[in-house]
Amino acid sequence: MGLRGQERLRLAVIYVCCAVVLIWALAPIYWVAVSSISTRQELYARPYKIWFPTQPTLASYQTIFTQGAKFRDGGFSPTADLMSSGLRNSVIISVASGAIVTLLATGAGYAFARMRFRGRNFIFLLIMLMLPLPIWVSLIALFFLMTRLQLLDTLLGLVLIFVTLLLPLAVWMMTTFVRDIPQEIQDAARVDGAGRWRLVYSIILPLARPGMVAVFLVAMLSTWNNFLIPLIFTRTDDSQPLTIVLTLFIGQYEVAWEDMSAAAVVTMLPPFLMALFFQRYLVRGLTMGAVK
Amino acid sequence: MKPFSRLNSDSLYIIVVLAPIVLLIALFIYYPALDTLGQSTTNRNLRIRRPPKQIGLDNYVKLLEDDEFWEVTGRSFLVVGLTLPLEMAVAFGIALLLNQRFPGRGVVRTLAILPWMLPGVVNGFLWGWLLNGEYGALNGFLYQFGLISEYQYWLRAPESQILWVAIVQTWTRYAFPTIILLAGLQSIPDDLFDSAKVDGANALARVRFITIPLLLPSFGIALVVEFIAAFQIFDVVWTLTAGSSAGGAMNPFTKTLMLYNYELVFRDLRVGLGAALSYIILLMSLAVGVIFVMRVYNQGVQEA
Repeated sequence: MGLRGQERLRLAVIYVCCAVVLIWALAPIYWVAVSSISTRQELYARPYKIWFPTQPTLASYQTIFTQGAKFRDGGFSPTADLMSSGLRNSVIISVASGAIVTLLATGAGYAFARMRFRGRNFIFLLIMLMLPLPIWVSLIALFFLMTRLQLLDTLLGLVLIFVTLLLPLAVWMMTTFVRDIPQEIQDAARVDGAGRWRLVYSIILPLARPGMVAVFLVAMLSTWNNFLIPLIFTRTDDSQPLTIVLTLFIGQYEVAWEDMSAAAVVTMLPPFLMALFFQRYLVRGLTMGAVK
Repeated sequence: MKPFSRLNSDSLYIIVVLAPIVLLIALFIYYPALDTLGQSTTNRNLRIRRPPKQIGLDNYVKLLEDDEFWEVTGRSFLVVGLTLPLEMAVAFGIALLLNQRFPGRGVVRTLAILPWMLPGVVNGFLWGWLLNGEYGALNGFLYQFGLISEYQYWLRAPESQILWVAIVQTWTRYAFPTIILLAGLQSIPDDLFDSAKVDGANALARVRFITIPLLLPSFGIALVVEFIAAFQIFDVVWTLTAGSSAGGAMNPFTKTLMLYNYELVFRDLRVGLGAALSYIILLMSLAVGVIFVMRVYNQGVQEA
């Protein structure tokens, strides 16, 4: 066995390991996707499972978006309405929170990275101290505050909370990002007499765009995936996002696993696609600089 | 004239960009945190119509004397204790694999860290369906390959529920330590391994005496972050085993601290007691949290 043979053996071992890792990572996702396009007969077949449906069907998706009949007695909204309102609410809060927090963090990131002012370290610490704070400490009283402000069960209330909770991550990302932009470029602009606003607007913003995209994507993903905040601060389909709707379905459809699977696929599709196509951006943000 | 106007524009800039942030954080985080602290010394209970009274530290004493509190706390640490070793082992294995050079590595990496980016409630649902006793895929798979002779109810016994919670938490989170360890591995210079090879160290000895010692800082970060994540576990449990979507009773066998806190405040409406619990949880996670924030703070503000 020569070098070529050894190399071939090494690759064979590696690919076997890769197969094991990918089965571990993807099998549950694969199975819910298959469940959502299977007919009930095949899905409930026992004892032999069919690992890919012989007649793939989108009927479950049609059911959850168009039929309102299968809701539990007790005054729940019809399934179809919940699904579309959940989708709408998830999109609105994710995009709005992402956009607002990106805007705030970019301005602040520049201030922390490039300016010296009184209270700078104190304010930075105040923001970063939120990171390890178990959120419950704030949530309990925040619930009563939101009630008084009449922001309970509103999209505006959710967006305000998400923006606040995302601030430490976003500010940290933009601060480190702006700091990596070469100082000389800014100095040149200062010599030309540009004020802070013009400097930020015409020099920093274009250069910081990749950082802003990363912040926006991370913020959107975190908001879309969040469950605890809407669990506490929403009550009706006025503001319930998909993560909440999915848990309502688990109670509603007692045994309709194919329909629940379809709802789960709809809930995880945007994060899934973002993870496939924008992973580089997301990883940088989600690891908080633990990885350069 | 010029320096003066520039100073002015600087102060204006700082006020405009930082004021909304400080306002949001003060109003939505720190003020409620103080308010919760205040409520933790009252007997506020929304089920009982009476003005709340100051009762000092009674809530804290009541919790610390309560068997359920210690049971739940013990369970939270059990989840952490089961999850962290499992997660580190999985992450270390995958990191070692992804550190090899082979065609297709990028694709494998992208796919291997996918579960981390999905919603926690979906992950709990995925596994609940996979483990379903009547139609679950795990049963189907094991049966088809002759590994079990009849379908099992994987989530029936209380001990197995906790074990599966740890496994699903591992599945949700292992990508993070994988990325951290992989970055650590890639920063180890190759010549270290080469000279060890020349000295006759086999692969196992090289991992044991070079890789693991040099990776200790990476393990440290990963452990801190994953400790916080596992200690505050909520979403995954909710859909996997909590069994309480529509206001029913919460499954007591997988009730961890965060679920207990939710139950006290938003189900039982015992606001004062729940507030006290949230501060006990804060104290328990403080030590680990301080390490984390110091690290982030140092990186963000002091390296210039």
